[in-house]
Amino acid sequence: MAIVMVENNEKTMNPSSIKIRTGNQMIAEGALHAGCQFFAGYPITPASGVYKAMIEQLPQRNGVAISAPDEISALAYCVGASGRGAKAMTASSGPGWSLMIETVQYALMTELPVVIALVQRLGPSTGGATQNGQADILFTEFCTSGGYTIPIFAPSTPQECFEVTTIAFKWAELLRTPVIILSDKEVGMMSEDVDFAQLKSSPAWYRKEFSTQNGKEHLTYDFQELADVPLFSPVGGNYKVTMTGSAHDKRGTLQKNSSETLDVLIHLQKKIEAHIEEMAIVRVDEQENADTLLLSFGITARTAKEAARRANAEGKKVRNANIITLFPIPETLLKEAARGVRRIVVAEENMTGQYRSVIQSLFAGKEIVGVNSVGKMITPGMIMEALV
Amino acid sequence: MTEETVQQYAYKKENASFPFCKGCGHHHYVNHLDDALVKLNLDPKKVCIVSDIGCIGILDSLFATPHTFHTTHGRSTAFATGIELADGILNDSRMKTIVVIGDGGATIGLLHLVNAAMMNVDVTVLLANNFLYGMTGGQHSQFSPLDFVTPTTPAGNIVPPMDICSIVKTCGASFVRQAAATDKNLGNIIAEAIAHPGFALVEILELCTEWATPFNKIDGKMINGKIQYSESDSTPGRSDFSSLYKEKVLGAQKKNVDDTITPKFTSPLQGTRRIVLSGTAGEKVQLASFLFMKSAISSGLHATQKNDNPVTQGSGFSVSELCISSEEILYTGIDEPDAVIISSPEGLKEARANGTLSKCSTNTVVIAEQTLPEFECPGKVFRLPLRAICTGNRAALSALASLNVKKGWVSQEALVEMIDTKFKEKSLLYHRDIESLVPLITI
Repeated sequence: MAIVMVENNEKTMNPSSIKIRTGNQMIAEGALHAGCQFFAGYPITPASGVYKAMIEQLPQRNGVAISAPDEISALAYCVGASGRGAKAMTASSGPGWSLMIETVQYALMTELPVVIALVQRLGPSTGGATQNGQADILFTEFCTSGGYTIPIFAPSTPQECFEVTTIAFKWAELLRTPVIILSDKEVGMMSEDVDFAQLKSSPAWYRKEFSTQNGKEHLTYDFQELADVPLFSPVGGNYKVTMTGSAHDKRGTLQKNSSETLDVLIHLQKKIEAHIEEMAIVRVDEQENADTLLLSFGITARTAKEAARRANAEGKKVRNANIITLFPIPETLLKEAARGVRRIVVAEENMTGQYRSVIQSLFAGKEIVGVNSVGKMITPGMIMEALV
Repeated sequence: MTEETVQQYAYKKENASFPFCKGCGHHHYVNHLDDALVKLNLDPKKVCIVSDIGCIGILDSLFATPHTFHTTHGRSTAFATGIELADGILNDSRMKTIVVIGDGGATIGLLHLVNAAMMNVDVTVLLANNFLYGMTGGQHSQFSPLDFVTPTTPAGNIVPPMDICSIVKTCGASFVRQAAATDKNLGNIIAEAIAHPGFALVEILELCTEWATPFNKIDGKMINGKIQYSESDSTPGRSDFSSLYKEKVLGAQKKNVDDTITPKFTSPLQGTRRIVLSGTAGEKVQLASFLFMKSAISSGLHATQKNDNPVTQGSGFSVSELCISSEEILYTGIDEPDAVIISSPEGLKEARANGTLSKCSTNTVVIAEQTLPEFECPGKVFRLPLRAICTGNRAALSALASLNVKKGWVSQEALVEMIDTKFKEKSLLYHRDIESLVPLITI
C-alpha cells in the first residue's frame, strides 16, 4: 500500500476562524506557513493574487518579496536565492510559464529547490486571461529537454491550495528539485469561506545540510545511491559550491559522458522515483461495489464530487476520486481506486483528455472515457451523462 | 597569545591549464580577475562567480576556492541578482557576487543587466566583449563593429554596435568602465568595481584570435581607440538595493485588519442558491456580491463568489456570480440561476453573451432595470426603475437586498449590518432604496 503523506499537524486555532479567501491567497498563506523566505513575481492574470499577497505579507515576516521585470528574471531570482539557501517561490500562468521553462530546467539540473505556482488560464498563446483551463498538464510536466519528472500537485479548493503549497515546499526541499502547484483560474480567483481552524498542512521542511561531521569532503552533487539527495551547502557558506546547468560530475565539474556524469543524470530522475508512493495523494470518496470510477482534479474535482453524489443518489455505483498528485503518476493509488470497476471516467477541462492520455495504460481491460470541455466549466450534468 | 597574521587567500587553480585559444583575450581576463581578488584578499567563501554561456563561461573551472555558479545563456545577471538579494537581505551581506559574461550573453540577457543597473544591486559584471560568438563559429554579435567581417556578415556588418556602457549608465549604473583585456591596470579596475557598493559593469575589450583577427584588420591599437569610459565613472550617494530594501521594506509592519467572520446570525436556507449580478464596471456590482457573500457566511452559510469583467477591468460590463448554501459548495458554476439582477445596458449585453439568460428556468427570478430593451428569458422577470430609485451605484446591492427580504436566503439583519458598516451615513440611502423596491417585487 502506498503511504499517503498528509499529516495534519495543525495546532490549535480557535474552534472556528472563518475568512473569505481566494485560492491564490491561500497559496500565499501556505507558502508563509511552509517558511518561504523569498518570492519574486511578475503580474499575470489569473496568478497575480499570489504575487500581491506575498508582497503584502512576506516582508513583514522578514522575507523578501520583489518584483521582477519578466518571468525569466522572476524564476532566476528565486533559483539564485535558493542557491544562497532561501526557500523560494514564484507564481505565473501559461504565458509566463513559457518563459520560465529554460530556468526550471536549470533548477532541476542544479538541484536547487524552488516552488512554482501555476494558475492555468485558457491557451494557446495569450489565450484568455480570465477564462479557465486545465489544459497545461502536459505542457507543464513534459517541459524538460531530457524528459525528467517534475512533481506536480493540483489543488481544487482554497483549503487544498494551502495544504498543497506546504506539501510542494516539503518535496522541493527534501528532494532538492523544482515542484509545481498546478492550480487553475477558477480555483485561484474564486472567493470562498475558509475555516482556518480546519486547515491541513505538511510540517515545514528544510533541505538537509552538509556538515564536516560525517568526515567527508563537500561535493556539490554527492550521493551514494542513485536515489540519494545530495546534502546542501549554500553559496556563501563554508564549503565551496560548484553549481552548473551543464552535464557534470558529483563535484560539479563540467564533463562529457563520463560514467559518473551519466550517473548524476540518472540520479536526477531516480531521486524522484524513489518517493512516488510517498508523494502520491488521491482522495477517494469510497463507494463499495462501484462499477465506475470517476477521476478528476483541480476545479473539476469539485464538480465531479457533486456529479457522483447525484448519480449515487439515483442508484448508480460511482466511486469518485480527486487526484492531488498529478506527477509522478500515483499509480498504486489509482489502481487501488479502480479496483472492481469496469469503467473509468476522467473529467478535465481540456480538449483532448491530457491526463487521461497518460494514465490510461494503467487500466488495461477497463473502458476509459473522458468528459472534456474548452473554455467552459464542466457541469455536473455533463459528467452525469458519462456515468451510464 | 599568538599574533594575528593576515592570511593571503588564493583563488585561481595552481598550474591551471587554460582552455582558451592561443592569443585569446580571455587569458588576460582570468589573470586580471585573479589579480583583483588577490588585491582585495576577500575570503573565497564570500565570493561567488556567476558565469554565463560561451568561451568565457567556462572560466569557473579555473578557480579553485570561490563558489561558482555556471548558468544559462544571458541569465547570469538574473541569477546573480537573486543570489545577492538573498545574501544582502536575508544573510549578513558579506558576499561579493561577480558576473562573468560575454557580448552574446549581454545581448540575450540585456534586460537582466538593465534591471540590475536600475535596482543598483551589489553585483559586479565583467563583460568580455570580443565582438562575436566565438564558441559557435564566429558569428557576428550585436557588439560587432561596423564593417566587421564574420561568417554571418560576409559583406561586413551593417548595424552599429551596442553601447552597453551607455545603456547601463542611462539605467542608473553607479560604476561603469571600459578597458582592453591587455590593459595592465585591468586588475585594479576590476578590484575597484568589486569593491564598489552597488551595480558595477566593466566592459573588457578583447580579440578573438580564431575568428576576429583572421578576417578583420583589428589590433590592440584599434581596440584602445574604442574606449570611451576609461575614467572612474562612479555615481556616489545611491544606496544599493539590498540596503534600501532592509531600510524601507523589510520588517515594516503594516496594520493587518482582522477579517475573521463570526457566524452570529442564522438563515433558514436549505440547499444551494445561485445568483448572477450583471451590470457596469465602476457601479459596485462586485462589492454588492461581496457584501452579500459576507452576510451569507455571517448567517452560517457557505458561499462562493467569482467576478468577471473585460480585460481592462475599469470599463464595460461587470459580472459577479454567487453561490450560497447550507451545505459544502461543490460545483461552483451556475447552470441554472435562482436569481439574476441586471442593472445596466452593459449588464444585459453580457448576460446575453455569456449565456446567463438562456440558463434561466421558469423558477429564476430576474430583476432588470426598467429602461432596458426587451429581452427573452423564461424566468419571472421584474422590470423595476432601479437606476431612477437607486442610481447605478446602488442598483445591484439594493435590488439584491430587496429580493432577499422576500426570499430570506441570508439573514437580512446580517446584510443590513454589512451595509451600515460599509457605507456609514450613506447606508440610509440603501435603506430607502430597499423600502421602495420591496413592494415592487411581487413574489
